[in-house]
Amino acid sequence: MTGAILSSLLFLACLGLIFSEKLNRTIVAFAGAVLMVGLGMLFGFYSEEQAIAAIDFNTLGLLLGMMLLVALLEPTGVFQYLAVWAGRLSGGKPVRLLILLGTVTTVLSMFLDNVTTVVLIAPVTILICEILGVSPLPYLMAEALLSDTGGVATLLGDPPNILISSAAGFSFTDFLTHSLPVVLVAWLVALLLLRYLFRRELSATPANPDAILKLDTSEILTDRNTAKRVLIILGIALLIFLFHGVLNISPAFIALSAATLALVVVRPDPAKTFKQVEWSVLVFFVALFVMVGGIKATGVLDAVVSVLSDAGNVAPVLFGVIIIWLVAGISAVVDNVPVTIALIPIIQGLGASGMNIDPLWWALVFGAGFGGNGTIIGSTANIVVANLSERTHTPITSFLWNKRGLPVMLATCLVATVMYVIFYGWFAQ
Amino acid sequence: MIIRDCMKRDVISITPATTVREAAMVVIERHIGLLPIIDSKGMLIGLVGLHQLLNLEMPDFVNFIPDVDFVHDFGAVETTRPEPYLLEQPVSTLMLPAISVDEECGLLRAYALMLQHQLLDLPVVAEEDRLVGLVSHVDIGAAILARWKNPNPE
Repeated sequence: MTGAILSSLLFLACLGLIFSEKLNRTIVAFAGAVLMVGLGMLFGFYSEEQAIAAIDFNTLGLLLGMMLLVALLEPTGVFQYLAVWAGRLSGGKPVRLLILLGTVTTVLSMFLDNVTTVVLIAPVTILICEILGVSPLPYLMAEALLSDTGGVATLLGDPPNILISSAAGFSFTDFLTHSLPVVLVAWLVALLLLRYLFRRELSATPANPDAILKLDTSEILTDRNTAKRVLIILGIALLIFLFHGVLNISPAFIALSAATLALVVVRPDPAKTFKQVEWSVLVFFVALFVMVGGIKATGVLDAVVSVLSDAGNVAPVLFGVIIIWLVAGISAVVDNVPVTIALIPIIQGLGASGMNIDPLWWALVFGAGFGGNGTIIGSTANIVVANLSERTHTPITSFLWNKRGLPVMLATCLVATVMYVIFYGWFAQ
Repeated sequence: MIIRDCMKRDVISITPATTVREAAMVVIERHIGLLPIIDSKGMLIGLVGLHQLLNLEMPDFVNFIPDVDFVHDFGAVETTRPEPYLLEQPVSTLMLPAISVDEECGLLRAYALMLQHQLLDLPVVAEEDRLVGLVSHVDIGAAILARWKNPNPE
């Protein structure tokens, strides 16, 4: 009992600290994990062996592999190239620019890390907007919102999906058949809503649209050869992802194989490439796995499961809808990764008690994915774009986010809810 | 040779209350790149240079994109002017911390400080940070090179 109370309090305290932003999230999680193991050994509810066993190496391997591929692709300038290409294609027409930059961001973030995508696209967006003489705000916010939205579509798109696929055994194609259709509708709704919310900013005609046609795309793609090679390898990896369920190989193995092949082919300076890997993110995941493993070991989560399954009179569809909105609400204010990691064992427990949990996993995917759009601190992509805009003449404020970002979050969650209810039978398969 | 021997003693300075617009006018009239900011007692409290003034008009992307070679036309940026209210702010809002050398400072140390702080001019102070002169990078550089004329140092 002591263990149950201590471990839950520790986890909640860590979530609170991450929310308060007083301490870096990785440091909080790291300290929490060490404390959890310490308390566990002291009170006999958790051991070091259990802590190691709690780590999901499939998630870590997939993240590491994809991070390495991005690290190789980043210096080639291919991301900036795509953004400039979109800018040129728009001919300087604001709405067209919004759609094109939004599409590039969405497609990239479907396969690559959302943060990397916005970090690379946002500076070029500021460039294009300044040359055109229009405010970059609508475009920057659209990129943050659409990268989070696009990420929901695939197994690789965002960390909660990786975690859920690993726990639920969902394959890459499962996401394409279940999540992608919802995202397509949600994406369209988000774009239309952004078009409406920023209608004033987007109605301004740029004074000098010709200047963007003078952006020299050939000078941006600094390493065409490497870009081509890594993209081919990434393409092959995506093809294999389509069949990983049938072939019975893990996503982590595919990602790490692709990263290895790319490293061998490109032969970069390892010091630079490995420095690009976001080790703090990987440590954050490990720490959360260890922490949640501790709570699980005390049996707290089983108690939650039994309470939830007793309340099982609720219709399964309604239960899923409640999960979508509950998780979205929590993910809007705290990181969606700890929320997902904490909910996974609960859903697994419900499954063990006989409930059909397949639809619940998808509810979790949508809630965790779309929820992050709700506030300026809801997702790392939002925080990154906001921090970047703070160093410009037109910073994104949390007031602006509540006015223009929150409606997008609500709309995408609504789309997810409606489609979830209509196609419940499909999600329940 | 030390800084005292190559500095200019006639220094144009401004006060923290000077507006950005007024500071810009001083730059235009006197054709200088660095304005030391002094308090009522003549003590150096900060600097504002061309760079800080021009930053008001510089586009943001220059800070984010390291290589702007591919941007062949800056478009609307070239005709954008800073918001008028920014020009009425006191210059202290743009002020850099006071970086200076004293009159006894060696020439190479002074030049190294300039490189480090990316300055092209350096204020010279006497006791208690009283502003007494200014040296440009050309003043210091030429003074250093002048020593090469005599291959046997004194």
